[in-house]
Amino acid sequence: MQANGHDKTAAVRDSIYRAALALDDQRWQDWLELCAPEFHYKITSFSPEINKDMIYLQGTRKEMDNLVRMLPKHNTDHSPLHRHTSVYTIDVSEDGKTAQAVSSVVFYQNMLDGNNSHIEAGETRLFLAGRYVDTFAIEDGAAKFVDREVKLDNRRLDKGSHWPL
Amino acid sequence: MPARNHNQWSEAPSLKTGEWVDSRIYSEQEIFEEENEKIFKHVWVPVCHESELPKPYDFRTASIGREPIIICRGPDNEVRAFLNVCPHRGMLIERRPSGSFLEGQPSGNPKRITCMFHAWQFDMKGNCVYVAREKEGYQDRLCKENVGLRRLRCEVKFGGFVWVNLDDNPAQSLEEWCGKPFECLRKTLDAEPLEVFHYHKAIVDTNYKLWHDTNSEFYHDFMHYHNRVTGFNDAYFARKNEAFDNGHVVVGTFEVNYENYEGFESRAELSFPYLPPNQWYMIDLFPGFNFNLRGSALRCDIVTPLGPDKVMIEFRGLGLKKDTPEERMTRINHHNSIWGPFGRNLHEDLIGVAGQGATMRPGTEPRNILHGRHENETIHDEIGMRHYYDVWGRWMNRTPSEPDKPYTATAVAAE
Repeated sequence: MQANGHDKTAAVRDSIYRAALALDDQRWQDWLELCAPEFHYKITSFSPEINKDMIYLQGTRKEMDNLVRMLPKHNTDHSPLHRHTSVYTIDVSEDGKTAQAVSSVVFYQNMLDGNNSHIEAGETRLFLAGRYVDTFAIEDGAAKFVDREVKLDNRRLDKGSHWPL
Repeated sequence: MPARNHNQWSEAPSLKTGEWVDSRIYSEQEIFEEENEKIFKHVWVPVCHESELPKPYDFRTASIGREPIIICRGPDNEVRAFLNVCPHRGMLIERRPSGSFLEGQPSGNPKRITCMFHAWQFDMKGNCVYVAREKEGYQDRLCKENVGLRRLRCEVKFGGFVWVNLDDNPAQSLEEWCGKPFECLRKTLDAEPLEVFHYHKAIVDTNYKLWHDTNSEFYHDFMHYHNRVTGFNDAYFARKNEAFDNGHVVVGTFEVNYENYEGFESRAELSFPYLPPNQWYMIDLFPGFNFNLRGSALRCDIVTPLGPDKVMIEFRGLGLKKDTPEERMTRINHHNSIWGPFGRNLHEDLIGVAGQGATMRPGTEPRNILHGRHENETIHDEIGMRHYYDVWGRWMNRTPSEPDKPYTATAVAAE
């Protein structure tokens, strides 16, 4: 790590947590603002059932922008997702221009409609668990996401979701 | 008509018998138990795909009608199925969802199916080949030759799916059971070996038949923005909805305009063999299995009922085994765009069926669930459900609209 590595790891950590808040609040454009033009996103999992690494969703920044813009046209479970994120490791490259970070992430679903809102609304359920594996470009003291892989532990996803994780 | 009082709400609809069902068939424990015994233990169930156990000694586990089963590929490359139950003390023999018997387990030897509890071992044909301290414990009263596994009817067919029947003497062969509905895709599915690339499962608080209904009725396409913009045209509304013997249904094809959904692309370049571009076939097999081919990707849904108001649905996505990495990635993206757990359609389907489940919990009042749309046996004609429930009534000897009464044939049966 370079002499100014501390500042850079702080920038990476800041981006991860700002992204978590933006996604929690469904401020999709704020989330995408944290991403570089070449950003690539994917949700993955390994299935022991079929013995394969799987991709459940992926897209470029443009494709993710399209996905979130189209959300109002779709019927969606309204129960918000919130995440608890803990940054485990940040590795800044020798030249200080890129960084990789691994975070633990747990997604909670705060039931709103669910199956029966009279009974379930207000309840919080564990939704999914996994890790964020992020790559950043660092420029002018800011860390922009160039790649995010959401590595899920789950293959049981019940109703799933229309939203990026 | 204004909102109705209880009597008006409960009275039979102004439709023919056979054009609605009583919601108790979705909520009563007794009916669920009877379905397990009378239906699921006697029909052919696609439990997995052969690509999930590609090498000798590979195995998969599953269950049908609460019975745990194990599927394994022998050194002779044959795929066989057994109850996953040790004949000694009833232990579940293999606990993992998949794996290989090539390596020995802590209690047993390589190339053996070993029960970890008391180290009884079986070969890939289900023969018991080792009983620990056999002579010392059983003398000549019981020997390993008499304690093989319980074998099950098993066939690999229709694109490499592994089909199992718990009934030793099923009323029909697999070909007789569902060969005709598969005819529309037989050449396509058997042209090239297929491979599973996607697996996930959902456990939903609803009855399994409601999920199957959602797969066999397309009137709910109004719920899917994607399907409205990519499909609703004259060719879509002309798609035939064809009933086959045994409660199966096939919805015919048309050309889908995927590029009409902003950001999506045509699937023409990767059409499955022998199909024109962007076709969409749907095969729904009684009592709850679905094969859905949309141009470049095949989806298969398998239901495992867990209770009258709980079902597990396993979702698989398949491509061609010979796919290049680039082709496979494109198929995966096409599959995920609407069918993945984060896709545009599947989430909506599952919300719909969970909502039905919420109103049909055990103990809720009986309701009339309608399937009386007639549109010349085209896509929004509900002939598929009418046909399904007539066959269901015969298997169960119950009238779906009055499940306390024995089955009687209706005009719908002759459709």
